Amino acid sequence: MRIDVQTLLESSRPRPRLDWMAYLGVLAVAAVLGMSLLAERSGSAREDTESVASLIMVLVMAGMFLNTFLQTRAARLEHMRMELADELVQLRRWPQAAMLLQSMLSRPARSPIVRLQALLALCSVAARFHRFEDVTLITDQLLEEMPLDPMATHMIKLSRAMALLREDRLFDADRAISDLRHFSQARESGGLGLVEMYRDVKTGHPAEALEVFAAKRDLIRRQLGHRVADACVLAAKAHDLLGQTEQAGQAYAQATLMSPAVELHRRYPETADLANKYRATPAPSFNQSGATLEVVV
Amino acid sequence: MISVQAAISRFRRDLTIGAVLRASLATGAVACLLVGPMVGAGYGGVLLLLAIVVVWTMLGYRSIQGSRLTADSPLLIASGRFDEAESRIDAALRSFSLFRPAKLLSLHHLALLRHAQRRWQESAQLCRALQRQRLGTLRGLGKPSTLVLADNLLHLGDLPGVFEAICRLYRQRLNLAEALTMMQIQTEYLACIGAFEPMLAQVWTKVQLAELMPPLPAARTQAFLALAAKKTGRIELSRWLRRRAEQLTDAPALVVERPILAELWPPPPQAGGNP
Repeated sequence: MRIDVQTLLESSRPRPRLDWMAYLGVLAVAAVLGMSLLAERSGSAREDTESVASLIMVLVMAGMFLNTFLQTRAARLEHMRMELADELVQLRRWPQAAMLLQSMLSRPARSPIVRLQALLALCSVAARFHRFEDVTLITDQLLEEMPLDPMATHMIKLSRAMALLREDRLFDADRAISDLRHFSQARESGGLGLVEMYRDVKTGHPAEALEVFAAKRDLIRRQLGHRVADACVLAAKAHDLLGQTEQAGQAYAQATLMSPAVELHRRYPETADLANKYRATPAPSFNQSGATLEVVV
Repeated sequence: MISVQAAISRFRRDLTIGAVLRASLATGAVACLLVGPMVGAGYGGVLLLLAIVVVWTMLGYRSIQGSRLTADSPLLIASGRFDEAESRIDAALRSFSLFRPAKLLSLHHLALLRHAQRRWQESAQLCRALQRQRLGTLRGLGKPSTLVLADNLLHLGDLPGVFEAICRLYRQRLNLAEALTMMQIQTEYLACIGAFEPMLAQVWTKVQLAELMPPLPAARTQAFLALAAKKTGRIELSRWLRRRAEQLTDAPALVVERPILAELWPPPPQAGGNP
């Protein structure tokens, strides 16, 4: 992925647009009034000026209609492109999502909300391609310049903290996690639990990671759905670090029940060695009609 | 709480008033342009036209204010703040709007609210009232409205109605979120009519799509697929899907919500019963 995030951050900034139609409208009204004054003075030109004034009004109304139509169409197109980019990210079609987002962010956004959505989607794409410095850059800029509601701020800070952990900037990550704890609903945040577990596993504090897992497992599963696999694989790693092989095996089996082992090891490279120690949950394989063929280990 | 019948009546009345007003203003404008010069109205015609443009702009501005009232309603509904959503939708339905989309959206949001409040009958009535209207530029609203209607009918046990709604949706192009909702409804519908074999068509794709759903619908969909696998003798697949559903939610809660799933989690045999 060759995307210059800094350039995209600059190029996508919305720019104030000159409202030509407002100026034209004012000009047209002024012209009509001016002509009416002129016609009052010379009675012979009255009929001609009336016709010209009517024509100007028709043109102004048609122009306003056309302008509204074009602006609405452009806004709808931008919205559709954003919807498509979101779908591509959800469907994990990363290269296509990256290309679409690059083309969207290469020009000034019509609305700051769409820009925010596009940049958040770009964060996901950058994280998928292990471009964590880009994730930090985007999240820093968003937090600095966009007025966001507390929940959105929390989500962006979570992405930032995870990226810092992946970059091995542990001191910064620790500060980011402390900052996240100041959020009024931090106790109810499953995402924060996941980040804390990863930090504890990375820094060699498996007992603390397991404490967080025990306290927040239900929250993580309710809020993150299938991403509960992430918490399970980190718990497996924590058990493994403590030498609790039986519990580690169980947690690893639960993790791989929900998500393929390869994907989990890609997200958390520290857990890669678990694949050689423990058995992943076998997923049934399917033929084209969907019937099960056999069990694949 | 807004009465559904009153909301529908007010909605229809406001649409009629809006249409009459729009037609009157447009006729007035055309008359100023075409008839004015013929009858020698002079600048009176131009000034009248200007007045019409000003009135149109002012009413349009009021309409935009009304539609802004409900813009946050879906978020409020999703976060469970039903009272706040209700008061905003009520205000939007009461406010005057020159344009149809604002009123159509308000009614759709009311249907969503009633659906979230599990008032299936009322939500279905609102969806039907909406679908009887010409949606025009909001024709995209037809799909989410049909999805909500299908889910309401599923809860009401009106299976022919669900089938009809699903058929309508099959003729349209759905986005990902709509396709996921459609899959949930269709899976449950097929389970209700006992069509377990069709439920398992392209099951791997369905499992992957279920992973994109929020936790509870994901668990429910996989539980229904597990039931279908069990009914068709694919025990390994059924066990795998059931265990995934268990990871996402509490099985007893799922069974209380959808009793048909009790077959996947039979109650433990009672101690001391007859041999």
